[in-house]
Amino acid sequence: MAATSDTSADIEEHEDVWVFVEQHDGEVANVTWELLSKGRDLADERGENLVALVMGENIDETDIPEQCIARGADKVLIADDPVFEPYRSDPYGEQFRHLVETHKPAIALIGGTHTGRDFAGRVAVPTHAGLTADCTELEMEDGRYEMRRPAFGGDALATIICPEHRPQMSTVRPGVFPAAEPDADRDGEIEEVEVVVDEADTMTEVLEREVGDVADITDADVVVAGGMGAEGDFEPLWELADLLDGEVAATRDAVEEGWIEPARQVGQTGKTVRPKLYIAAGISGAIQHLEGMDDSETVIAINTDPNAPIFDNADYGIVGDLHEVIPELIEYFQENEEAIPA
Amino acid sequence: MTDGWNIVVCVKQVPDADDVSIDPETGRLNRSDAEAVMNAPDYNAVEAALELRDEVGGTVTALSMGPPNADAVLRVAVGMGADDGVLLSDPAFGGSDTWPTSLALARAAEELDADVVFGGEETTDSSTGQVPPGIAAHNGWAQLTYVEELESRPEEDKLVAKRDVEGGYERVAAELPVVVAMGFGENDPRPAGLHRKIYAETDFEPETWTAEDLGIEDEVGLAVSPTQVGGMDTADPVPREQEVVDETDELAEQIAEVL
Ligand SMILES: Cc1cc2nc3c(=O)[nH]c(=O)nc-3n(C[C@H](O)[C@H](O)[C@H](O)COP(=O)(O)OP(=O)(O)OC[C@H]3O[C@@H](n4cnc5c(N)ncnc54)[C@H](O)[C@@H]3O)c2cc1C
Ligand SMILES: Nc1ncnc2c1ncn2[C@@H]1O[C@H](COP(=O)(O)O)[C@@H](O)[C@H]1O
Repeated sequence: MAATSDTSADIEEHEDVWVFVEQHDGEVANVTWELLSKGRDLADERGENLVALVMGENIDETDIPEQCIARGADKVLIADDPVFEPYRSDPYGEQFRHLVETHKPAIALIGGTHTGRDFAGRVAVPTHAGLTADCTELEMEDGRYEMRRPAFGGDALATIICPEHRPQMSTVRPGVFPAAEPDADRDGEIEEVEVVVDEADTMTEVLEREVGDVADITDADVVVAGGMGAEGDFEPLWELADLLDGEVAATRDAVEEGWIEPARQVGQTGKTVRPKLYIAAGISGAIQHLEGMDDSETVIAINTDPNAPIFDNADYGIVGDLHEVIPELIEYFQENEEAIPA
Repeated sequence: MTDGWNIVVCVKQVPDADDVSIDPETGRLNRSDAEAVMNAPDYNAVEAALELRDEVGGTVTALSMGPPNADAVLRVAVGMGADDGVLLSDPAFGGSDTWPTSLALARAAEELDADVVFGGEETTDSSTGQVPPGIAAHNGWAQLTYVEELESRPEEDKLVAKRDVEGGYERVAAELPVVVAMGFGENDPRPAGLHRKIYAETDFEPETWTAEDLGIEDEVGLAVSPTQVGGMDTADPVPREQEVVDETDELAEQIAEVL
C-alpha cells in the first residue's frame, strides 16, 4: 500500500493556495492562467500566498516561472527533472505527495483537463485530501472554503466542504473562470525544490506523443456548434463561423464520430463557453451539452425536430435542416456585411 | 503467466439519468422512482475487459460496491460475458466519498489478485472520474485513464494504451498490475448473449464481501470521507426567449442584433 499521510491532525499548519501548472513541452495550458486568476482572489481573501507548482524538465530555459508571477503567483515552486517530461501520473503523484508533506498547502487548484484529472485523482489518495471534481464556483464563506459543482445532471448545485482534511483540492474545467491579464511588474519568488522521484521507480513509459495545436474556443464571442445533425459535414459551420469571426464547436457525439477535434467539444466533459452568441445546429440539447453552454448570452437553435429540448434552452430557433438554414444565413450576412461588426 | 490475466472490471449502479428530477414544490430531488441502471460508461469498461480476456486469456470478474440490489449490474456484466462477480455491500460503506470507495475497490482488487482493473471514464451520478486513479493510488499501481485503445504485451507483463490527451494522443506502456479507465464511447459494447443472460439472471449468484472481510471497517463510510456535502441548491434554469421563427431571414436579423 502507498504511504498515507493523514493530515487531519494539523489543519492549522496548512496554508497557501496552490495552482498546478499544466505544461507540456514548455507550453502552458490556458486553464492554468484561469486558475491563477481565481486562486489570486482566494489567496487575497485568506491573507495567504498564491503558489504556482511547476513540474517539468529544463523549466529554467522557459519563461514559465515569470509568466506565473505575472499572472498572480507570489511564489513558484519548481521540480525540475527529466522524469517529469512528459507528464506521467506516478512520478508526478509521488513528487506532489512529498511537496504536500513538506509545504502543507491549504488549497490546491487543478485544471479539469484529462491530464489534470488524471493527476488529481492520483494525488488525492496518498495525501488524504478532499477532492472535488468539476467545480464551477469556489468561494470563501465565513473563513470556510466552499466548492460548488453541478449535480444530478445540472439540475442542482452541490456545495462541497472539506472540514477535516488538507489540502482541499478542486478541479475546474477550462473556460469556467476568466484569466486575468498578465502584469509584468509583479514581484514573486522562485524556488527549486528537491526532486524525490527516480526514473527507476516509475511504472510507466510514454512511448509516443502526438500533440498538435490545441484550439481554444473558450474566448470566442461567437460559437457555431454542430452535433449529429451535421451528418459528417461541418463545412457550412466553418464558413459561418469564419464570416462571424467565431469558432466552431461540437457535441461529444460529433467529436466521437471524428468529424471535429476533441478540443472543440462543449459540455460536461469538454469545455465551458460563454460567448455572446451560441448557435446550436443539429444538437438535441442533452443535459451534458447544456452544462457547457448554458451561460451563453444568446442561444440560437437550428433543428429538424420541433420537440428537440434545445428549443427550450434557446432564445431564437428555427425548425429546419441545418444544411439549408446555415447556407441561407451565410448568404444573408454576405449580402448584409454591415450587420457584422468590424 | 500461462493461465492468462486476472481481469477485474468495476461497474456501478446509478439512477437512470433521464429519470432524476427535482420536485418544483419542495426543491428536493426525486430519485425514488428513477430506475437503477448500470453506469453507461461502464459498458465500455466491460467490453474492453472482455476483449482483453479474449486476447490474453484468463478471467473477467465484475466488481461493484453498492446496496444489496446492486447485484443487478453484476448480472449485466455477467450477461455480457464476465466470468464472475463480487459485490461489496455493507452498511458501513454508507456515505463514502471517492477516497473510501476507491479503497474498498482497491482492497477487493488485491484480494482478487488482479493484473488489470478496468473502470469507466466517469459515473453519470457523481461524475468525478476519481475512482480509477484512486484505486491505483491506494495499491501503488500504474494507471491509464482516458484510454482509446489497448495493446497487450503478455510476454513483458505490460499493457500499452493509446490515451486521449489535450490536442492529440499518447501511447503509454504500463507494468502490471494496472488500472485502466476506458474513455466513454471508445468501443462498441457487445449485447448480452441469450444463454449467458438467462444464466446471469437465474443461476448466477455473486459473492458479497463486507468491509470486515476486506479488513477496512474503520477506513470507510462518511466519517473518513474527506469531502462532505454542505448543501444542495436547485440550479435556476437560465431564462430564454424560446421563440421559434419561420424564416431564416428573421433568424439572421436576431443574430445581427446580438452582434
Ligand atoms: C458521462 C457523459 C458525459 C458526456 N459529456 C458530454 C459533453 O461534454 N458534451 C456533449 O455534447 N455531450 C456529452 N455527453 C453526451 C450527451 O449525453 C449526448 O449524447 C450528446 O450531447 C448528443 O449529441 P448530439 O446533440 O450531437 O446528438 P443527438 O442527440 O443525436 O442529436 C442530434 C440532433 O440533430 C437533429 N438533426 C438531425 N438532422 C438534422 C439536420 N439535418 N438539421 C438540423 N438538425 C438535425 C436531431 O433532430 C437531433 O435533435 C456525455 C454523456 C455522458 C454519459
Ligand atoms: N461504487 C462503485 N462500484 C464499482 N465501481 C465504481 C464505483 N464507483 C465508481 N466506480 C468505477 O469508477 C469509474 C469512475 O467513477 P467516478 O470516479 O465516480 O466518476 C466508474 O465508471 C466505475 O467503473
